[in-house]
Amino acid sequence: MHQIQASTMKWRYLQQSLFFALIRGAALIITLALGGIILYIIIHGISAISWDFITKPPTHSMTQGGIMPAILGTIYLTVGAISIGLPLGVASAIYLTEYARQGRVIRLIRVGINCLAGVPSVVFGLFGLAFFVIIFKFGSSILAGSLTLGFLILPTIIGASEEALKSVPKTFREASLALGVSKWQTIFRIVLPNALPGILTGSILGIGRAAGETAPIMFTAAAFFTSKLPGSVFDEVMALPYHIYVLATAGTNIEETRPIQYGTVLVLVALVLGINMIAIIIRAYMRRNKRW
Amino acid sequence: MDADIIIRLKNVNFFYGENQALTNINMNFRKNKVTALIGPSGCGKSTLLRLLNRMNELIDATRVEGDIIFEDKNIYAPDVDPVEIRRKIGMVFQKPNPFPKTIYNNISYGPKLTGVPVDDMNALVEQSLKQAVLWDEVKDILNKSAMNLSGGQQQRLCIARALAMKPDILLMDEPTSALDPISTAKIEELIEELKKNYTIIIVTHNMQQAARISDETAFFYLGNLIEYSKTEKIFTKPDVKQTEDYITGRFG
Repeated sequence: MHQIQASTMKWRYLQQSLFFALIRGAALIITLALGGIILYIIIHGISAISWDFITKPPTHSMTQGGIMPAILGTIYLTVGAISIGLPLGVASAIYLTEYARQGRVIRLIRVGINCLAGVPSVVFGLFGLAFFVIIFKFGSSILAGSLTLGFLILPTIIGASEEALKSVPKTFREASLALGVSKWQTIFRIVLPNALPGILTGSILGIGRAAGETAPIMFTAAAFFTSKLPGSVFDEVMALPYHIYVLATAGTNIEETRPIQYGTVLVLVALVLGINMIAIIIRAYMRRNKRW
Repeated sequence: MDADIIIRLKNVNFFYGENQALTNINMNFRKNKVTALIGPSGCGKSTLLRLLNRMNELIDATRVEGDIIFEDKNIYAPDVDPVEIRRKIGMVFQKPNPFPKTIYNNISYGPKLTGVPVDDMNALVEQSLKQAVLWDEVKDILNKSAMNLSGGQQQRLCIARALAMKPDILLMDEPTSALDPISTAKIEELIEELKKNYTIIIVTHNMQQAARISDETAFFYLGNLIEYSKTEKIFTKPDVKQTEDYITGRFG
């Protein structure tokens, strides 16, 4: 009984190989799917890309010309959403992890945040319309759109920030507090800097989502067409996701604008990846000295 | 009463929720002495140490009764700011816990943030590191991360960091339990040196260490102070049988 039969060993080895193959296969399918989508977009979209395409406004009822106002609009909305979502999200996470006494109220707040993450984006759009556009009288504007997107990405940022704050060792907090440094200073000087890479990860996900969503900006910020650039945060803007939606469903000539649609999709994907890359580089830079 | 007493505990009880961790503790700590707190795990010695700089209240649902008198005042009086207490009563932890900052910034962190007026920060950093006998090893790498130091060096850095606040009392919670014998010997020498200027209260699991470095020893068991006396007496002819059983290794 002590000796394992050669055939048993062989069977175990076979089993192992089989499971490795399955896991590899799963990873491969995901990579292929992503690669396929991106390749498809590039193949169909690259012909539309030119300097004029990204620097000029649309012409001839959007069947020709560029998409510059939409690019700019998406950048404004994304930056706006992050400027609202990040401070609010990080502040909430600090309260939840560092200050709040863990109890029923906090559990309720957490459930609320998780529910918020599951709310369909069109509901955020309608909320933005009712709350920011109508009640606050912001109108359809960069401000209303940024606020709506900011709330949309809030759960993501809070979740990532909470995890990041919790991952900072308790011993750092103790060391600082034991020196007679106040809790507030300890959080700002020790906890937050060490949690920043993790918080950035949450923001990266948030940025991707904010830049790509159509439904939340449909009623709150996006213009069907405007050739003039926004003069203030109370102006409407064009935005890439909405522009794609418009061209593909309600444009003046859907077939004719196909290349422009693909080109716009390519620009949107490139923009999101570009913003993500910047955040990833910053994060890698900050992680260099992290070692505990 | 003696003028050389720095902290007085009067009828101190401490609770974690419903569990009583310390029962009716009465003891006085002497100035410029090394006092060792010994006893088996869970006897309350670390809890007592953390009561002295109000670190226990960072844990939810804890409660203190009785008086802990420092500078003629109960440090648990409602008008006392725990932050002020911690500036005067420094602490070194079981595991070295330097900040992920440079060696220099580890030392300057406390004085800078607590608003202690410092004329010459460089001098203070140098002085603190010299006091912790670390200066010669790190004087050329002050701007390197403290995380690159060895465990023993890190612990001496933590001591230097506490000393930079110029505390009256230094609390040490098993400061050598995570260190190798050579680093431990260095820390023990250091403690010998530091007691000229500071009052040191140290929790230790190591009986020989308590015997070597302390002037007075307090033995705790199940949240009670069993015996508290000169170290020599505790280790040669203790009054209580439990103490003798513990130091001779019969239990614990």
